Amino acid sequence: MLNRRNFIGTAAVLAGATLISGRSQAASIPEAQTMASPNMQPPLFPKEGREYQPVVTLNGWTLPWRMNGGWKEFHLVAEPVIREFAKGMKAHLWGYNGQSPGPTIECVEGDKVRIFVTNRLPEHTTIHWHGILLPNGMDGVGGLNQPQIPSGKTFVYEFVMKKSGTFMYHPHADEMVQMAMGMMGFFVVHPKEPNLYRVDRDFVFLLNSYDIDPGAYVPKVMTMLDFNLWTFNSRVFPGIDPIVVRRGDRVRIRVGNLSMTNHPIHMHGYDFAVTCTDGGWVPESARWPETTIDVPVGAMRAFEFVATEPGDWAIHCHKAHHTMNAMGHEVKTFIGVNQRDLVKRITKQIPDYMAMGSAGMAEMGEMEMPMPDNTLPMMTGTGPFGSLEMGGMFTVVKVRDGLARNDYGDPGWYQHPAGTVSYEYKGEVKTAPPQSPEKKSDTPAIELNVKKPKGHTGNH
Amino acid sequence: MSAMGIFINLRHANLLAGKTVRLAAMLGVTLLAGCKAITPDGGVNEVAELTSVAVRQDLVIRDEDSADIIEARLKTLLLRPLSADAAVQVALLRNAGLQAAFNELGIAQTAMVSASLPPSPTISVARLSSVVELQVERQIVANVIALATLPARAEIAADRFKQAKLKTAEKVFSLAADVRRAYYQAVASQQTVAFLEEAQSAAQSASELMRRLGTTGAVNKLDQARDQVFYAEITGQLAAARLTASSDREKLTRLLGLWGSEVKYRLVSALPQLPPSAKAAPYIERDAILHRVDLQSLRIDLDVLAKTYELTNATRFVSIFDLSGMRNTTREANGFRYRTTAVQIDVQIPIFDLGETKVREAALTYREALNRLQEKAVNVRSEAREAYRAYQASYDLAKHYQREIVPLRKVISDEMLLRYNAMQIDVFQLLTEARQRIAANVSAIEAQRNFWLSSVNLFSAVVGGSSGSAIAKTSAAPAGND
Repeated sequence: MLNRRNFIGTAAVLAGATLISGRSQAASIPEAQTMASPNMQPPLFPKEGREYQPVVTLNGWTLPWRMNGGWKEFHLVAEPVIREFAKGMKAHLWGYNGQSPGPTIECVEGDKVRIFVTNRLPEHTTIHWHGILLPNGMDGVGGLNQPQIPSGKTFVYEFVMKKSGTFMYHPHADEMVQMAMGMMGFFVVHPKEPNLYRVDRDFVFLLNSYDIDPGAYVPKVMTMLDFNLWTFNSRVFPGIDPIVVRRGDRVRIRVGNLSMTNHPIHMHGYDFAVTCTDGGWVPESARWPETTIDVPVGAMRAFEFVATEPGDWAIHCHKAHHTMNAMGHEVKTFIGVNQRDLVKRITKQIPDYMAMGSAGMAEMGEMEMPMPDNTLPMMTGTGPFGSLEMGGMFTVVKVRDGLARNDYGDPGWYQHPAGTVSYEYKGEVKTAPPQSPEKKSDTPAIELNVKKPKGHTGNH
Repeated sequence: MSAMGIFINLRHANLLAGKTVRLAAMLGVTLLAGCKAITPDGGVNEVAELTSVAVRQDLVIRDEDSADIIEARLKTLLLRPLSADAAVQVALLRNAGLQAAFNELGIAQTAMVSASLPPSPTISVARLSSVVELQVERQIVANVIALATLPARAEIAADRFKQAKLKTAEKVFSLAADVRRAYYQAVASQQTVAFLEEAQSAAQSASELMRRLGTTGAVNKLDQARDQVFYAEITGQLAAARLTASSDREKLTRLLGLWGSEVKYRLVSALPQLPPSAKAAPYIERDAILHRVDLQSLRIDLDVLAKTYELTNATRFVSIFDLSGMRNTTREANGFRYRTTAVQIDVQIPIFDLGETKVREAALTYREALNRLQEKAVNVRSEAREAYRAYQASYDLAKHYQREIVPLRKVISDEMLLRYNAMQIDVFQLLTEARQRIAANVSAIEAQRNFWLSSVNLFSAVVGGSSGSAIAKTSAAPAGND
């Protein structure tokens, strides 16, 4: 699904260089590659340079590169993109090379890296290489370390990878707006020694958030905290790819947080250890077991486990409202409120009205009702046993026997061995009588008698 | 007796289209019969002519003979919900004030008859091609004007009687216009009540739901109180609207002259639809100058004065808009000059050689009357322009509500329902939106009502009679945001 795209300017330069010197590769910049699909692309195995086990980007891809006189050259294009969040919803974002987030950049400890950045945004930008140790003038803070890259211009970043680890990139010019618009990407530096920290499957994704009004397409860039779409790599459930793992593989999942709040990422079925942060590898002696790892804002965590347990294991942010799609915060709680007799009256003013919420919200997950344009249901998705009632930061780790070594294709739902699924008890159930609902009165249930402390009586 | 038809077409000022001649001739035959039947003694024959024409045209002097016919006609009219035309008809049959005006006219005629020989009655039928659809008035007024614009006789008494007829015509115009105004007001108020009842029902549903949420403990007293006070307020608004509707209807009832069990008459449930476009009236000023009965009455004052002071030697005739120039023009019938090609039509007035007049008072009094007439004519033109602009503007506004605001409200309601389905909003916001949509509809009704009121005002500005009060601005949304 890789689209090669010639920018007029670049092509002209290439043609000219070819005619004049015959050393076009050295004299020009690499062609910018672009991606049209929001689906996960296969890992990009290195054809030259040092060997490594490449990562897989959830609903994303790795940026191809070329060697040029000992330098690994990449070409990022900052530009407006249309990103599908899930089937039925597209967002008008800013990103890199056709998608948001941008392509993952992979290289190896010790590599000399040259990154061309072309700005096709309507305003200036820069790129900050988050966590990477580099010369101060390459750090990308507009106005502080460099002039901003104006619209239409291409700047070059050059640095040598001093250490391996898990990093990311994002703008540091009009930063709040450009990040709220989706500009960010993953940056993985593999160890020089290919067997160091080696895993069989290495997944990466960024946590981000958007505020897009139902029926709208463009994020509200001035939102501070009250976002309504919580995303893995600018995707929401059920649009997020499953994390497909071969049973017995050693698996690493790297998560970076470029949203405006922390996310406790919880994986079912396993305990795991955090092995790397954006600060570097965690020594084995310092690791401890977890089932949930809180990823702070502007930080990265990589955790590892051996996939011994087959099944479909949920992985999600443990903030429950982050596993929902856009919802109205002003909606009142109708639980226990009989609306049936009022429906007739209300439908006189609102003919298509249908009462909801008297027993909770689960009916929302099953109902298919007309919605505003470009809007996903608050809770949605269907599993082998019915409605999943999820959205946002939720996907499934699928551990299966007998997958090919680099097969990341969706194997379907897990076939449970007989007798291993929860079942209904058919016998007699003895329970205490249900609590009768509290009789509400105007006076508080607990009378408070507050005495003002007096100085000489001492503390209570 | 012979009947002569004078056909006045405001647009073209043509005389005697063939069709009209036939109509006039037919009317003349009827008049002859009526004359003999109602006034066998011939003492008040012209009033009899007027009444016999009016029976046909539904303008009746009520007496022992006509009472039964009138009541039968009324009964038929009141069977169905009243349209605006039907309401005018009822008033013309029943309004006792109008009957008193007819009686007054009869007295004026008695005075005229006693002062001079009766003129041979000449019936003329004028058709006002009015810019508004006012069929009934058109026909009635045509006859009154026809009588009023008989060729001038030498007798002052006849002039005064002519003025009395013009005044009666003015009363007919006034009553018809007032009835229409009251009618549109009453229908609009009744429609507003129906919409506010819907709004109140929405508020009631919200309030009841909120109370139930209070019972389960989902909302606090503050939210409950806020919702209940809204319901209480809109209930108050509804009560006020009902009161307004009831007094608006009572105003109409008074003008109709109805009482007893008749007051249970029904109105149509909604205002008439807007016409597809506002009427163009490029000659509105000319129309008004030609037809304003009050202007014609002032013009007669001049004749009366001339006769009173025995000013006999008219040296020239000028336009009232050209007094300073004093240019000579040719006199035509009735002192009205018809310029078939020009947009404008003027009232012509005789200028006497006042320098030869020995009586200074006579000269000054005549001058005074001239100035009064000119003042009136200038005002009549201005009023016609103003009324027409108001008519156009109110049409545009009503159309704007119909084309833009009401459909946009519908879009908002539809989108809100989609957001409700997507759990973005709850039923309270839906009900609030429903109330706002209702409020927009209420404003649209007011705009529609204002259009009909200004069309009545335009009619009054062209023919005379009560001008009506300024039309209320479309009110702000009564069941607004919260």
